[in-house]
Amino acid sequence: MTDPTAPLLPVTDDVDTGGFFLAAARGELAIRICSECRADLHLPRECCPHCGAFSREWRPVSGTGTLYSWTVVHHQVHPAFPVPYTVVLVEVDDTDGVRLVSRIAGCPDLEVGQPMEVWFEQVGDVTLPQWRPTATQEESA
Amino acid sequence: MADASWVPGACSIVGIGTTDFSKASGRSPLTLAAQASLAALADAGIDRRDVDGIVRCDMDLVAPPALADSLGVRDLTYWGEAGPGGSGPAAMVGQAVAAIRAGLASTVVVFRSLNGRSGNRYGLVGERGAVGGDGSYDEFFLPFGMQTPGQFFAVVARRYAHEHGLSIDELSHGLGSIALAARAHANSNPDAQFFDRAMTRDDYLASRMLSDPLRLFDFCLETDGAAAVVVTTTERARDLAGSAVPILSVAQGTGHGVQPGQMFPALLRPSTTSWPSAAAAPTLFGRAGVSASDIDVAQIYDCFTITALIQLEDYGFAPRGTAAGLTDADLSVGGVLPLNTSGGHLSEGYIHGMNHVVEGVRQIRGTSTNQVAGAELSLVTSAPPPGASALILGADR
Ligand SMILES: [Zn+2]
Repeated sequence: MTDPTAPLLPVTDDVDTGGFFLAAARGELAIRICSECRADLHLPRECCPHCGAFSREWRPVSGTGTLYSWTVVHHQVHPAFPVPYTVVLVEVDDTDGVRLVSRIAGCPDLEVGQPMEVWFEQVGDVTLPQWRPTATQEESA
Repeated sequence: MADASWVPGACSIVGIGTTDFSKASGRSPLTLAAQASLAALADAGIDRRDVDGIVRCDMDLVAPPALADSLGVRDLTYWGEAGPGGSGPAAMVGQAVAAIRAGLASTVVVFRSLNGRSGNRYGLVGERGAVGGDGSYDEFFLPFGMQTPGQFFAVVARRYAHEHGLSIDELSHGLGSIALAARAHANSNPDAQFFDRAMTRDDYLASRMLSDPLRLFDFCLETDGAAAVVVTTTERARDLAGSAVPILSVAQGTGHGVQPGQMFPALLRPSTTSWPSAAAAPTLFGRAGVSASDIDVAQIYDCFTITALIQLEDYGFAPRGTAAGLTDADLSVGGVLPLNTSGGHLSEGYIHGMNHVVEGVRQIRGTSTNQVAGAELSLVTSAPPPGASALILGADR
C-alpha cells in the first residue's frame, strides 16, 4: 500500500462493527440492536446502555433518511479525497436517531432536513453505504 | 452529583511556566516539558528535586518518570494522566489536587508538551489502507470523508445555526467575535504567536474557507511548546516565595449518551450542539459556591471558535442559541465576559489547554498582559468532545 491516492477503507472484521460492513456487502443497511430491549445501538457494540444486556443482533433498516448537517471541505487533507467534497451527516429513518456519515463529491445544494437515500459504493473488496439526496420524480423519470 | 468532601481552596497553583511558542521548536517534547516545568518551579520558589508528583495529558509523548529524571527528582511517588487530549488540563490539575489531598504526593507538576506544528500534527490523515476497529470507530468516519477535527466542528457549527434559526452570516458574526477578541488580546501579549498581526472583522471574513462554514481564522494555531503549573497545599503555599492562587473548584463531566470512541462519534449524540461542559458546569459552580455571573474572566477552550461559542452557553454565560449575538467588545477586557485574555488557542498558541490554565492564574495574580482589573474569580475550561473539565481559581483571602 504505497499509493498515496489509494482510498481509505474500513476494517471490516472488527468484532463489534464488522456486521455493518458484512450487511453492506449483501446490499443491506443494518444497525446493531439490543436483543432484549430492542434499542438501536449505533455505534455498534454488544453491551446495551439502556438495559445492560449483551447481544449481537443486527436489524436491516430502510435506506432512507434525512439530512442532519453537512460541511463542504475545501482544504485537502488526504490525497484520496480530492476537494471540494461534501461530508453529510444523515439521520436514518425508522431508527432511534441513528446517524451515518457519507461523502458526496463537489458541493451540491443541500438543506437540513431534506430526504436522503443510501447507495452502495464498491471500493475494491469493500462495500460502503453512501448517501445522496433522494432523486425526485422528475430526475428519476 | 456534588461531592460534600470537596474543600474549596485546599490546594493552590503556586507556579506557572511556559516555553516560547513557535512553529519549529528544534527541541524534543521532553526538553520543552523540562523547560516549562523548571520555569514553573522557579516561579514557585520550589527546589526541582522536591517534586514528588507529575500529571500529564494522556496524549503527551513525555512519560512522567522521564520528566522526573530530567528535573533531578529524588523519588516520584505519584504519577497520573488525564484526558482525552484537550479535555485534560483542568482535570489534570484536579488529579494533582486529588493526589495531594489523598496524601500520595505533596508537590505536583502538571504539564503539557508538544511539537504541534513541527512534530505530530493534528488535522492530517496519515492513514493508508484499512482504518478503524478496536473501539476507535474510525471505520464509520475516515473512509466516509470525515477526517479532521475542523470538518467535525464545521458540521456541528452548521447544525448549531440550523437549530437556533441563525443564518450562516449570523453564525459567522458570533464566531468572528470570538476570533477577534482572541486576536486583539494576542496583539498585546508579547509571547503570543499573533502578537504582531492585527485582524479586522473584514480580515476574518475574507480568510480562506477551509471546511464551510469554518474559515482559516476559526481554527487554532498549530504550535510547538509546553506549559506547566505546580500544585501544592494552600497551607504550604503560604510559606513559599511565589504567589499562590487557590483552586476553588475542579470538575469533570461527560453527561449522558456521549458515544464510545473519541471525537467524531460525538456527531451521533442525541445533541451535537451542547457539550459535556453542560454536565460539568453545575458541579463546577456548586463546588466553588459561585455562579456564572460571578466569574470575572474566562479562558475557554478554543480549538475552534465554535467550540468556545457552544461552551459560553454550556457554562451559562449566554442563553441557548444567543452566544452568536455577542460582540468582540463583549468578550474583551472591560466587556461583559473577558475571554481568552492571552489570545487563547486561536491567537496565542495551541498547548492543548494548558496555556489557558497558566493565563487563568495570571489573571488572579494581576499579571496578565490583558489584565481584568480586580479579577477575583477566574474560570478555565478544558473541552469537548469526549468529556469536559474545568476549574475556578480565586484570590487568596
Ligand atoms: Zn437493551
